[in-house]
Amino acid sequence: MQTLQLLISGVAQGMIYALVAFGYNITFATSKTLNFSLGNFLMLGGVVGFILYMTHNWPFFAALAAVVLVGMVGGAVLLKVAVEPSLNQRSAYGWILATLAVGIVLRNAAEVFWSTDDFKFRSPLGDSPWRFFGEPQPDGSMSGGLGVYPQEVLIIFVSLAIVAAVELFKRRTVFGKAVVAVSEDKDTASLMGIDQKFVILFSFMLSTAIATVGGVLVAPITLVSATMGTVLGVKAYSASIIGGLESGFGVVVGGLFLGVSESLTARFVSTGYKDVPGFVVLVLLLLFKPSGLFGRAAIRKV
Amino acid sequence: MGTGAPRPSVLRRLAPLLLLLPLLIPRAVDNSYYVGMVSRILVYAMLVASLDLVVGYLGDVSIGHAGLFAIGAYTVAVLTASPTLNTDAYSTIQHWPQLPFLIALVPAIALAAFAGFLLGFPALRSSGPYLAVITIVYGLIIYTFINEQESLTNGTKGITLTPLHLGTLKLSGVNYLYVVYPVLVLVLFVVHNVTHSFWGRAFEAIKYSSVAAECCGIGRSYFKVSAFVLSAAVAGVAGGFFAQLDSYVAPNTFAYSFSVEFLIALIFGGVRSIAGNVVGAALVVVLPDLFAGFADYRLMVYGSLLLVVLYFVPEGMVGLVRRAWLRLRPPDHAAERASLEAQAAGLEVLSRPHPGGDAMALRLEGLEMKFGGLIAVRDLDLEVPRGAVRGLIGPNGSGKSTTVNVLTGLYTPTAGRLYSFGQDLAPLKTHQRARAGIARTFQNLQLFGDLTVLENVMVGLHPSFQASLFEVAFRLPRARREEAEARVRAYALLRFVGLQPAAFDKARNLAYGQARLLEIARALALSPKLLLLDEPAAGLTAGEIQSINGLIQKIKAAGVSILLIEHHMDMVMAMSDDVSVLDFGKKIAEGTPKRIQEDPAVVEAYLGTHKTSSVVV
Repeated sequence: MQTLQLLISGVAQGMIYALVAFGYNITFATSKTLNFSLGNFLMLGGVVGFILYMTHNWPFFAALAAVVLVGMVGGAVLLKVAVEPSLNQRSAYGWILATLAVGIVLRNAAEVFWSTDDFKFRSPLGDSPWRFFGEPQPDGSMSGGLGVYPQEVLIIFVSLAIVAAVELFKRRTVFGKAVVAVSEDKDTASLMGIDQKFVILFSFMLSTAIATVGGVLVAPITLVSATMGTVLGVKAYSASIIGGLESGFGVVVGGLFLGVSESLTARFVSTGYKDVPGFVVLVLLLLFKPSGLFGRAAIRKV
Repeated sequence: MGTGAPRPSVLRRLAPLLLLLPLLIPRAVDNSYYVGMVSRILVYAMLVASLDLVVGYLGDVSIGHAGLFAIGAYTVAVLTASPTLNTDAYSTIQHWPQLPFLIALVPAIALAAFAGFLLGFPALRSSGPYLAVITIVYGLIIYTFINEQESLTNGTKGITLTPLHLGTLKLSGVNYLYVVYPVLVLVLFVVHNVTHSFWGRAFEAIKYSSVAAECCGIGRSYFKVSAFVLSAAVAGVAGGFFAQLDSYVAPNTFAYSFSVEFLIALIFGGVRSIAGNVVGAALVVVLPDLFAGFADYRLMVYGSLLLVVLYFVPEGMVGLVRRAWLRLRPPDHAAERASLEAQAAGLEVLSRPHPGGDAMALRLEGLEMKFGGLIAVRDLDLEVPRGAVRGLIGPNGSGKSTTVNVLTGLYTPTAGRLYSFGQDLAPLKTHQRARAGIARTFQNLQLFGDLTVLENVMVGLHPSFQASLFEVAFRLPRARREEAEARVRAYALLRFVGLQPAAFDKARNLAYGQARLLEIARALALSPKLLLLDEPAAGLTAGEIQSINGLIQKIKAAGVSILLIEHHMDMVMAMSDDVSVLDFGKKIAEGTPKRIQEDPAVVEAYLGTHKTSSVVV
């Protein structure tokens, strides 16, 4: 029963990784660049959500809508400020550093203008666990058995829904196919009349919006702080690499693997080492499959 | 000409004395705080230089160097700390080896180098974002380990070290500068020597085109892993001396953001420059101090600064200064050119291939290359007799370039055998085939853009270098002699192809026709027995094609066998002794140029069948 509970929280954690990992993949598909500040955009979502929902008592969905808006604007700004300059200069690593820089600025700004403390974020579904298979108590509640936080269930379903919706969008709609076309071959896509600049802009806005939503989703579980996105961003990045940057649903596999290995290691080995097994597997995996589980290996052309 | 190299002026000879100046800082600056800052800059400069080896020279972004730095620092801390200074009741350390600092430094460097070795392997197969995540994860694993292994590292509480002293002489505080500065000079001397030798050229060749590097006889795996080991060892030295900087280490120093901060420092100062490394290190140390009033905003300033630098001065501060300086005083290579010209005159550039072995310079038997379901080359038999020029033609997509890629070992054929002068090529890797005397040029130019034209040819001379890494690192006589000889030889090769006027230009500034000549010069630098020319005339003007023709005749006259792949029929027919024709991966005709031109199968492959062409419109 306890293992099942660990699995559920591992899955919930993993789905957050998968969701943010999906954000990495979206920009990689269209522009072959990754937004290394995505973890800090997640933090931005958590913080903005906290300020609106908890501090100013906005209705949850109004706060969420505002968070999505912030994410989209942030993505557009990031693209213009950090990624486009280095794409124009054809610099090999400029965008890595530039997006890292934006992440540093975001985090430091949150610390300076908001707070350096941790805050509790109330789940819209309530913070008491749903209990299954427990002993009924005299006052009508349950104790023992399997306790599942409603937020965990929400994370799993919302994350899956977002990933599935975007994948469906890519496969079924004309604009989605334009996105795929740009990811396959930018120049040919341009010749077919697709505005690749717009597609790239769209992908960055979508990616950061997803990350900020991830921040609101994960906040009730992890607490809100200026540093909440740093490690999470790296884990999500790992999940995306494990699945393969060019795969769609591969991120879910990568995310689940990291989330579950983390919660099991924390319980059965040590909390301090909870990240290590996932990381070690990542390095070993890349030794044998250099482009991830579901990535495509490139043929060297000269 | 004739007067030899100009004598360096007295001032220039005395310049090394300037190196002693920083040693006066503790005497001149009566403020231990500022002297301490200088010591910190010196230690950090080593770390930036270590990062530069991987990022600047090899072109791989590492966001995990804090981990390697931590290994150096913690090894020294754990091995030298004494219980008297860590009397905290909560100290969890179980072992107190209490070794002297200098002895502890040895395992510190060795462990860091070993960690670099382990990091080098994933770097062989992954690149870009995949490698970046590996370095991040690597740093995080080391960080976790330091935090959690409390019996060894005292966990988050950190370790206090005994301040350095020599007898009664204090070497800590202000005096630490006397310890660190000579070490920094030594480390930067070694790094400079390695990066300005055939080692450094190998790193850069791998960065621009690992395929071309291998075809120049550079073992990519060996040099890539070596670069990581070297970089990690330097990071280990830096870490070791960092531990004594404050005589205290704690895990939080070595977090992920530390790696990022040093990456920023490297880019800010400018990659591939020792001065840049020092400037970058100074940024990390001085900036927080300048903004002491707003220490909280430090990272915002960093981040914004990095964005500005990346956008406006991608070559970094030192690059900016260098560019301005070069505009004021354009470089004058006249003296060097005169000296090279004098030495290169009359030098035999193509050593005659050794006799012996099979009469065939190249023999393919039943070669087949499949990519999944696509058969690019099927059942191909092909021979290039010793000293002959064999033309290989065919429509686009007929498998010509695939054949060259199989010959140089970039692709492993799915069936068939390859021999060169009777030697089976199958067991040889790409760089070994280059050393065995098979050189090639590339249809899509694969030059090393930031290296000069002369240096590009010197990359081709890579297999001729014998000096060990140790000799290179300390500029011992053999390393210096080989380097000087290679320069002359490379210049002679440039004269051979007629490119010597551009010897000191960057390769990426060459015109198209010149770039093609450079490809040939670089291939000839291998002293090949067999030269594979993959469309050497593609995109050239008629006049340029004429000069390539002349060049091919000169190369042939020197006894080099040639496989010539080309679309320009005039050129192929004029140059080749025999011509083979491919179509859809199969050989459809072979013979003298005259016979090929009349062969109906060849005409059909190029122009379509008679039937379709006779359709009345």
